[in-house]
Amino acid sequence: MSYIEIKNLTFSYNEKTNVLEDVNLEINKGEWIAVLGHNGSGKSTLAKTLVGLLEPQKGEISIDGLVMNDEFAYEIRKKIGIVFQNPDNQFVGVTVRDDIAFGMENLCVPREEMLEKISFYAEKVNMLNFLDSEPANLSGGQKQRVAIAGILAMQSDIIIFDEATSMLDPFSREELIKYIKTLHQDGLTIIMITHDINEALLADRILVMNKGKVYAFEDTEEIMKKKSIFTDSHLELPVSLDLANALTDNQEYKEIREKLWEYALMK
Amino acid sequence: MKSIIIGQYIPGKGLFYRLDPRTKIIAVLLIMISVFLLETIEQLLIGLATAIVLLLIGKISILKVIKGLKPIMILLIFTFIFQIILNREGETIVSQQMYFTGYTLLLLILAFIVWRILNKLVKYRFTLFFLFAAGVFLILSYVDFGPKIAEPFTFNIYRAGLEMSFFVVVRLLIIITLSTVLTLTTKPTDLTQGLEKLMHPMKKIGFDSESFALIISISLRYIPTIFDEANKIMLAQASRGADFSEGKLKDKLRQVISLLVPMFIIAFMRSEELANAMESRNFVPGEKRTRINELYFSHRDIIATIFSFLILALAIVLKVM
Ligand SMILES: Nc1ncnc2c1ncn2[C@@H]1O[C@H](COP(=O)(O)OP(=O)(O)OP(=O)(O)O)[C@@H](O)[C@H]1O
Ligand SMILES: [Mg+2]
Repeated sequence: MSYIEIKNLTFSYNEKTNVLEDVNLEINKGEWIAVLGHNGSGKSTLAKTLVGLLEPQKGEISIDGLVMNDEFAYEIRKKIGIVFQNPDNQFVGVTVRDDIAFGMENLCVPREEMLEKISFYAEKVNMLNFLDSEPANLSGGQKQRVAIAGILAMQSDIIIFDEATSMLDPFSREELIKYIKTLHQDGLTIIMITHDINEALLADRILVMNKGKVYAFEDTEEIMKKKSIFTDSHLELPVSLDLANALTDNQEYKEIREKLWEYALMK
Repeated sequence: MKSIIIGQYIPGKGLFYRLDPRTKIIAVLLIMISVFLLETIEQLLIGLATAIVLLLIGKISILKVIKGLKPIMILLIFTFIFQIILNREGETIVSQQMYFTGYTLLLLILAFIVWRILNKLVKYRFTLFFLFAAGVFLILSYVDFGPKIAEPFTFNIYRAGLEMSFFVVVRLLIIITLSTVLTLTTKPTDLTQGLEKLMHPMKKIGFDSESFALIISISLRYIPTIFDEANKIMLAQASRGADFSEGKLKDKLRQVISLLVPMFIIAFMRSEELANAMESRNFVPGEKRTRINELYFSHRDIIATIFSFLILALAIVLKVM
């Protein structure tokens, strides 16, 4: 049984059009999944059903053997955290310390334990020197790292990033990606929704959503060889991979192809 | 826009900073009640002196408190003037014949113009206002020549009027000094938490003080963000030709609306996202939570509370006697 299982998931906001239609997914523990898809393809909606913010009309979600329903939603949310796009709209605390504490406060963690965990996880995202800072004095990237620390402090081991890097400058974006890599190495399960195909290349598997349906869900290297999947979903491959794909048939180009792949994956 | 000061809190280390916010709220309330019980001028003066001594003990700069008084200075002046003019009890203390002639009118207008012009140039506006008021008084009293416009009249100040105005002003002064001490030395977050704890017993009548405090602290946290946003929208609109400083009232109104509409829409989206973020971090309204910021009652707080109860007791004894 997989760590995250989604069966026949169907969701609509207005009962007329289905924003998610018959979604079936299995995600293993410790995997890094990238989710791609055009605007309105249902990526954020999928993320919200996964953390129990939205209740699907049909289908079933189970995480670590727990089936999502009113009874278990609270338990499931302990395991899974979500970092949203806008750093400002998820910073609840008046200071960094308060914000990292917020989730733990809700779980009734004793104060002493909270203080320990705050130092530990603030250190992990390199925010230890900012514990007393107010959000108005932090950069977007710093706020996103605080959000990560808050989720880690709740001992969650699945983190969803819903376009968490899209409002950051290139430098902060790269930095945040670096932290996500370490989280992955630490064994966390990562689900990263993004519009940036270079970011998606870092994942183990890529899920392509199209009009509320799973259009493709395959290993990153495999899916990158199928250009049609991307053109069908209004996505563009990096030039280097486009080139590599164009060279596919010819045996003598093997070496160039490998170089181009290396180049794309290094980004 | 990075450092907007919310409230009046100024970081510092004096005695009052170390008191629990609950102690400070209770003490301020008790002393306020005491102030309203005081009846003679001597008692009030002692009260004012005590307030000043408290400021000195707490190493709070009196200058800052006076700055804090500024917004209500006008109110104080008007209560003072109204009391003096309207209250006609007791013996007369000052009796001044006043005249109103053509020259008086001319001089008054002149004085007014000079005052308005100086007001734009000089820093000490209150001093200037007092000089202007004194000037008006002198003109009315001594310019008795020229064509008469109205009959001379007598301007009287009565003992009760003077006393009452003095009472009202000193009482207000003490109360405002105390509340300034409270807001100067207590972080807004601590203040809300103190209020939350003090209002906790009201749960019995259905008032959820924890949610109330959470709402306040989230509002406090979002004030700078929203200011920032207003700034951005104004810049965006200014770059498209909107002008926020000029124009008639109607234009101004339109500009304010053009600012408020996007701000409301953004605030709605923001609150929806914030609610999602809170729920995904296992927040359940009204459920029990632990707190990272605990309040601690120390021996200092006990002494301070006893002290303020003593003041109240003293005031009651004086009132009864
Ligand atoms: N709260 C809502 N109420 C009604 N409809 C909604 C709501 N949120 C999203 N939708 C609609 O559901 C569809 C899917 O939206 P969703 O936000 O899941 O897409 P997305 O893949 O995350 O898009 P994007 O790349 O723009 O973030 C869209 O057509 C959108 O208009
Ligand atoms: Mg989205």
